[in-house]
Parts: sequence; C-alpha cells; structure tokens
Amino acid sequence: MRTLSLLLAAALVGCGGDSTTVAEAPPKEAPAPDATAPAAPPPTLAVADLQAQAENIALVPSPAEMQKALEKAGVAGGLSKLVSAREFKMDVENKDVVAVRTGVVLADALLTVKDAETGVLVARLEKVKAGMVALGAGTDIAATLDELVNAVKNETKSRDELLKDLDDLHGAILPEIKYEAGERVVPLLQAGSWLEGSNLVANAILTSGKIEAGNSLLRQPQVAGYFLKYVQVEGADKAPSEVVKQLEATLKKLQEIAAKPNLSTEDTTEIKAQTDAVLGLL
Amino acid sequence: MLTLAATAALLFASTARADEEAAETCLRTKIWEGYTSGWQVRSQTNATFGSGEHRVYLVTLYAGNEYKFLACGDDNSANLDLVLYDAAGNVLATDNSNDREPSLTYTPTVTDTFYLAVHGSRLNDAAKKAGVSTAVSYK
Repeated sequence: MRTLSLLLAAALVGCGGDSTTVAEAPPKEAPAPDATAPAAPPPTLAVADLQAQAENIALVPSPAEMQKALEKAGVAGGLSKLVSAREFKMDVENKDVVAVRTGVVLADALLTVKDAETGVLVARLEKVKAGMVALGAGTDIAATLDELVNAVKNETKSRDELLKDLDDLHGAILPEIKYEAGERVVPLLQAGSWLEGSNLVANAILTSGKIEAGNSLLRQPQVAGYFLKYVQVEGADKAPSEVVKQLEATLKKLQEIAAKPNLSTEDTTEIKAQTDAVLGLL
Repeated sequence: MLTLAATAALLFASTARADEEAAETCLRTKIWEGYTSGWQVRSQTNATFGSGEHRVYLVTLYAGNEYKFLACGDDNSANLDLVLYDAAGNVLATDNSNDREPSLTYTPTVTDTFYLAVHGSRLNDAAKKAGVSTAVSYK
C-alpha cells in the first residue's frame, strides 16, 4: 500500500505538480485563434491514402435522397405511391433478417411520411420499433419511436416536422445503435433501406420509360461492395439463411450491372427482379 | 491517498477529453436550420481529432442533387477544413474559411463516389484533442 501511495504521489507530480502550485499559477491561456489571418490550406491527400483511410459511415444514400434524385432526373410520380404494404415479422431468430426487414420498413416510413394515412404510418413506425427492440438497439431509440408514434396519432407534429425526425433517426441516430446492437447491424439495416429504395427507383424508371435515368440513379458499385463485405462475413462460419444467400447473390449482380457504362431496359429490369427476389424472401 | 489520486486522474482525463457532444450540438443546430432552406440530412458522425489529424469519408453523390458538407468543432478547435475529392483523387472543392464551422457545397454532374476529407488543421491547445461532428446534407 505504501509503495502504491508513493507511485500515485509520483504520478500526481508528473501530471502537473502539487495542488498548491496549480492553484497559485495564473491560468494558462491558449493562444487566441486569429480568424482574420489567412489559413494555410490543408495538405492534399494522395488517392492511395484516400482509399486506405476512407470510412464508410456516410457512403450510403438515404431513400429520401434517392427520391430527390429521381425528381431531379425528371422521373414523374415519385416513390411513395410505389411503396407496398408489408407484413414483416420481427420476432425471428435470425438477427440479420430482422435488420434487413427493419431497414426496408424504415425506408417505407421515410418515403411515405408526408402522405401516408395515419394508421399506415403508425403501423410502419411501430414495426421499426419492434425491429429495433429485437435487435437490442437500446431503450433510447424505442422511446424516440414511441414519441414519433404519439406525434402521428395525436397530430402534434406536422408531416414536415416528422420528416425531419425520421431523417434524423435514419441518418444520425441509427449509426449509433452499433454500440448496443453490434457493428454488423447498421450496414444490414442500411442494406434493407437501400435495396428497397433501389427497387422502387428501378420500378419508377421502368414505369416512366426514362431508362437513361438509370445511369445516374442505379449505378453504385461501391455501395453494393460495402454491403457484400458484411453479408459475406456470415458465410465464413455458419450456413447463411435463404435471405442472406439471396442478398449476397443480388448484391453481386447489382455490382456487375453497375460496372456497365450504360444501363439498358434489360439491366433496369434485372435490378428490379434481383431486388424483388430479396424483398420477396423477407 | 488513493481517493485523491483517483479524483485527480479523473479530472485530468476529463479536461483532456474532446467534447464531441458540443460539436454535435452545434452541428444539429445547423442541420435543423438547413431544413428551412430545403436541406435534408443523409448522415451525421462524430470523431475526435488531434492537431493536424484528418478523417476521410467515402460518399456516394447523385448527379443533380446539391450537397452541403458541414462540420462543427468543439471549443478546442480553431480551424477545421473540408476538402472534396473525386474517385481519382482530384480536388473538387475546398472550404476557405479559417474557423471551426466549415461548410462546402457541391453539385455533381455524375453519380459517383467521392472522398470528403475533414482536417483538424489548427487546435487551440495542440496537446489536447478536439471533438468534431460532420454531416452530409442534400437538396
């Protein structure tokens, strides 16, 4: 104990001297930043460094962002009218499947928040909550979803305000659940949202006949590759479920199609068929 | 003695810790304000920077959408910088501000992946870390 005390005393001295000296010394002021001085530009990074250091946290576009891009591309109708009713169960053993399902329903909620009937939107939000709870995402996110459900039921928030809240849930809160639910859950949730968005975009393009829009809306090989990395991890140590097997096959096909210089009607039809295949198994 | 040492260690750790929460609060205010001008948020993430350190984020951007990249630093951040690169590593845009709340807007002409680099160019106290929050928004 005496040795320990001496060591701790020495550590305290090493951390800035004794308490009297610290108390009597004038506060050490940090140099004030000169906001008017021209700042040196940051160093330019080499592409190899960019590739090696890049984090994927902001890689995946949100479904609402896809909708915006679709409108900019002149594809009429939007995505919300194409969203279909789904009866997903969240109380299943395979957490990967729950994560993908939750991502799909969250995408549907985001895309329809402005015009869905109250009961339909409430059902979607409650399904998202059930998924989050099943994934062990923590009580904060469940409470947030309860608040959203009450706001929809009681009409205490406008649909524009709800869109902000859902955007926030999808973009800022969701990535944080990795601390409770595990690292793998977030990309699988994102994969569900992205697949649902891609399926609806492909559907909208085919319906409108504006096939050229697929070049700017459906070619995202890096995103497919990012999801594949997580999906393939499971196969290394256990037999994947039918859903995960189909997800892997779909992502590989989407990556292959995205590498083409131009997407044809057949390519867009294939994207829709491939994403339908995953969504149909859910 | 043990209690005193433990308290001192905790205080030391506390003052040395970067304030990601302050950075996040600052950024969320900006994001919320952005909604009035039609901006929506794709993602927000927090990180801790040492002086001169940087983080790189891979981002998919859609042709036709307008993007705004935002960052906020805590009190220890003096100057943060943002640089957007294309997939080949060419610099497309750089923020020219000398402050801890940089932003950058860019409208891509092709849908592709890009790199956003966030630099902790200057910290008030280089011996301490800084909390930095970064967001990708679009309209």
